[in-house]
Amino acid sequence: MEQIAIGFQEAIDLLITGDAELYEIVGLSLMVSLSAVILSTFLGVPCGALIGTHNFPLKNALLRIIYTLMSLPPVIAGLVVFLFIMRRGPLGMWGITYTPTAMIIAQVCLVTPIITGLTYNIVRDKAPKVKSLAVTLGAGRLESLKLLIFELRIGIMAAIVTGFGRALSEVGAVMIVGGNIKGKTRVMTTYIAQLKSMGDYSTAIAVGIVLLILAFLINTFLYNVQQKVEK
Amino acid sequence: MRVYLENLTKEYEGRKILDIGTLLIEDGALCGIIGPNGAGKSTLLNLIAGLIKPTEGSLLYGEGLSSSAPFREMTMVFQAPYLIRTTVEKNIAYPLKLRGWADVAIECRIEELTEELGLTNFRKQKSWTLSGGEAQKVALARALSFRPRLLLLDEPTANVDPSTTAEIERMLRKINEKEGTTVVLVTHNLVQAKRVCKEVLFMDQGEVVEFGISETLLRDPKQELTKRFVAGELLT
Ligand SMILES: Nc1ncnc2c1ncn2[C@@H]1O[C@H](COP(=O)(O)OP(=O)(O)OP(=O)(O)O)[C@@H](O)[C@H]1O
Ligand SMILES: [Mg+2]
Repeated sequence: MEQIAIGFQEAIDLLITGDAELYEIVGLSLMVSLSAVILSTFLGVPCGALIGTHNFPLKNALLRIIYTLMSLPPVIAGLVVFLFIMRRGPLGMWGITYTPTAMIIAQVCLVTPIITGLTYNIVRDKAPKVKSLAVTLGAGRLESLKLLIFELRIGIMAAIVTGFGRALSEVGAVMIVGGNIKGKTRVMTTYIAQLKSMGDYSTAIAVGIVLLILAFLINTFLYNVQQKVEK
Repeated sequence: MRVYLENLTKEYEGRKILDIGTLLIEDGALCGIIGPNGAGKSTLLNLIAGLIKPTEGSLLYGEGLSSSAPFREMTMVFQAPYLIRTTVEKNIAYPLKLRGWADVAIECRIEELTEELGLTNFRKQKSWTLSGGEAQKVALARALSFRPRLLLLDEPTANVDPSTTAEIERMLRKINEKEGTTVVLVTHNLVQAKRVCKEVLFMDQGEVVEFGISETLLRDPKQELTKRFVAGELLT
């Protein structure tokens, strides 16, 4: 219990004094997770919408795979990406092991299925009505898809927020492909894991609290955007 | 716009629910479709709107009897209107934006339509806060915005009060008369069919039983089935 209290105190101190190392770590965390979520949104939202509005062979099999990938353990995502990008791997020539790029790729693998699956669920329920409307008003294929995404924007936003939460909070993937290198690939979650193993519990808690505060601020921001969209 | 139906059938899971021989809806028609529940009225309308495909037969549109549905020139109003989650005016503007109208032209058209349908004060209101009748008027304004050549309506006044119904009916007659829009109106209200439509089509169990001038058909139907339906409905 005491550790938490001390950690709290330290968190406030860290934030006020503006510890440069911490800011760098926070900055990288945000950069990696936001990039991953943006990429996953562009991949996952159209995929989810297309799967939700079309019937094709093996659709059910595909859905089961997506649902499974939604709960993919981050270490596995990290491991697979690592095997691809390691020096002897098929993408070894890219030379991106232990870089933020690799971390972004690993998180895209984690987050895209989540956004795809959640988008699919919302689309499936509402798509027939929106599609009928779009067709009767003379919208083409692309325009219909755009209208559908516009109509479901609130649910899609929630899917994106969920994906972002997943990206920001996972350790396994970024640890394996990033390696927690100080000043290069160290992010909040890997830093916490390291502080813990060094026995520096109060700093670990302090960073944890910073992570929570950030998550809160980002969700507040997105919530406000959502409210604006509604108005 | 003229619509020609040729040996049109529709089956669901092997059950034939629509079997229309040949039927011609003339350009400029104001045609009512009546008939009991499950007769296939909505199915017929959805087929014409291109929302579903016929099992057999063909649908031909326009002067040239083209077999591809002219989605940009026709539209449909549903019994339960689906409005886009945005303001009234943006709903009305949507089909115009699709057709690349200039902003000024869109603004003029919105003003014209909202005024005519008594929606001026609702222009900025969110679609989900409208009452059922208001929503139906917005759906109608949106459907009319781009001056369709063919307007299909599926029981548009089923949940609408008498004065709003009168407004909608007046609008339908007006666009038919002034702009020559072909109108097909499915209705359960025979009095409405009599008031609004120039011709009426009576359907039962997926087949066209009788098609004729509305005055004559509703007053003095030829077919026994129509007689019973009209008598029953007009009495109750
Ligand atoms: N997708 C479908 N699958 C199976 N049967 C259907 C489907 N759509 C319609 N039907 C059947 O087709 C018949 C005609 O339905 P339709 O909705 O066209 O009737 P309607 O004349 O519009 O009736 P109402 O006056 O009640 O609106 C009904 O028996 C209905 O159950
Ligand atoms: Mg019906």
